Amino acid sequence: MPSATLDKALELRSGRERPGQFWKIDLDAIDFSSLKAAAPSDPQIAAPSKPGLIACGLETARRDHAEIFNRAFGSVTGTLNDKFAALSAALCNTGAFIYVPPDQAVDDPIEITYTAKNGALFPHTLVVVDRGARCTVIERIEGESSDTVCGIAEIVAAENASVTYAAEQNLPLESQAFFTRAAAPGKDASVTWCVAEIGAALSVSRIDVLVDQPGVDAHLNGFFFPRENQHVDMVSTIRHNVGESQSQTLIKSAATGRGQARYLGNIRIAPHAQGTEASLRDDALLLSPHAHIDSVPALEIGANDVKAFHGATIGALDESLIFYMESRGIEREAAEKMIALGFFEPVVERFPTAAMRDRLRAALEAKIA
Amino acid sequence: MSERGLRIHQLRASAGGTQILKGIDLAVEAGHVHALMGPNGSGKSTLAFSLTGHPGFKVESGSVTLDGADLLAMPPDKRAKAGLFLSFQYPAAIPGVKVANFLFAARQALHPGDLPPAKFRALLLEKMDLLDMDPSFMGRYLNDGFSGGEKKRLEMLQLAMLAPKYAILDETDSGLDVDALRAVGESVNAMRASEAGKDTGFLIITHYPRILQYVKPDVVHIMIDGRIVKEGDAELAQRIEREGYDKIREETAQIA
Repeated sequence: MPSATLDKALELRSGRERPGQFWKIDLDAIDFSSLKAAAPSDPQIAAPSKPGLIACGLETARRDHAEIFNRAFGSVTGTLNDKFAALSAALCNTGAFIYVPPDQAVDDPIEITYTAKNGALFPHTLVVVDRGARCTVIERIEGESSDTVCGIAEIVAAENASVTYAAEQNLPLESQAFFTRAAAPGKDASVTWCVAEIGAALSVSRIDVLVDQPGVDAHLNGFFFPRENQHVDMVSTIRHNVGESQSQTLIKSAATGRGQARYLGNIRIAPHAQGTEASLRDDALLLSPHAHIDSVPALEIGANDVKAFHGATIGALDESLIFYMESRGIEREAAEKMIALGFFEPVVERFPTAAMRDRLRAALEAKIA
Repeated sequence: MSERGLRIHQLRASAGGTQILKGIDLAVEAGHVHALMGPNGSGKSTLAFSLTGHPGFKVESGSVTLDGADLLAMPPDKRAKAGLFLSFQYPAAIPGVKVANFLFAARQALHPGDLPPAKFRALLLEKMDLLDMDPSFMGRYLNDGFSGGEKKRLEMLQLAMLAPKYAILDETDSGLDVDALRAVGESVNAMRASEAGKDTGFLIITHYPRILQYVKPDVVHIMIDGRIVKEGDAELAQRIEREGYDKIREETAQIA
């Protein structure tokens, strides 16, 4: 790996909020240069068999599918000038390549599992969906050791394509996770991100959709739930550079113990992006007096003929809801649990498969217990 | 003296530092229908919340027993387990919690293990049919986006599914159209005619006698300014309909 690329990445600033009254971690002071990287490997990839569908490791893709691969690899995340994406790119030691040929409908999900063990992982998942094709990708990030994982997920969707990408980060509680996920949908394409940040002591997550074509339908769904001393820093950005497109962002978060989180939800509508419809909704639930969530919706609207909506709530569990349940014989603790799990349900139900939704519900339940 | 019944003795309760109940004496007998009527602001809902243990209301003195058990010593869930039910005037909306799951959890809490899921579901469908509720209700989030009538039907569904010993219906009739009102009335009467509900005592809180055309009261209690000022039979409700509360207010003021 050319060290110049790495040096440049190390010098980049994160652009994240500085430490403050509640948040104590300085993301720019994290020492990446001394991390021991794992030996290069392929993730576990399970894909249905479909004519023309490619699902393979990065090295195979580079060798056997060079033309498609080289055109798309880094074409979206490479433009972000993001510190953690640059680090991941410089140190990339694992990854997966998915290609769906024109008009092919892959309804069963393609599942990719990254497992951290014996050193830091720098995964890069590239999903290229050709004209009129559709697919669902599930990415699971797990760890047998508490090594750092710093990864990229990148979606290149052609005209009329439809992609759902669901990521489930469930690393051990001592590890650190950095993820940059970005999509560039083509004309009339539909892109859905579903992101669950469950594990890791520190989870730094960035999700982007670059709307550079008309007719795009973008959905961004995410949740996180720091407990004990977990820290979560999530930034989502939908950039409406052209009009006649729509986006919906839905983020649900809770914190308990001494859990800390901050979420910045950006909607940027460029001055000429007329006819854009964008909504952003984020709700935060505080389950302990020492937990803290900063939740900031940030709408930057440059065009005048748009529909933009944002709504944000933050608070503790509503006593009137607890009383209602208690009045039906449900004990307070059980009532609190049902209400908190219910709080996440509107976002959990947007994740693609029943098995995944059940895993996520179980993970949330374990956090509340 | 028999201990059976929901017996309220000299109950005083306040909200936000203001005394609202000023010594209530009232007994709801098992298997009977009691109507509690009174003008707005007389303290009817405060009584309902004080009995069920709402944290926003403070009981200052008095006693309440349910079939002999000291109700006021129990947290709200234990009061429900003792057999008390409140149909809320404004039921809470709980997004993400499905009607069927909530009802199953409540039924399990009150009658542990008495209905396996398949039988529970069959009973639920039967009760929903009685209330003209579409089966799709089961999968909706609790009261989330429900119309006023749908919320009241759901309260009645819970009443039917939970089979309490004593049920307080807090203005279940308000905001209902005639069809919904009839469905509510029929549901209560069906419950009273059933084995599980024949001994249930009802306290129906209302300020219009409308609902009492569907569910005949055995006793009518009139509450004004935090006190029970008059008791009578169903005829008393008719009188309220004809004369309003002012006449009774004058009469009882003279007595006091």
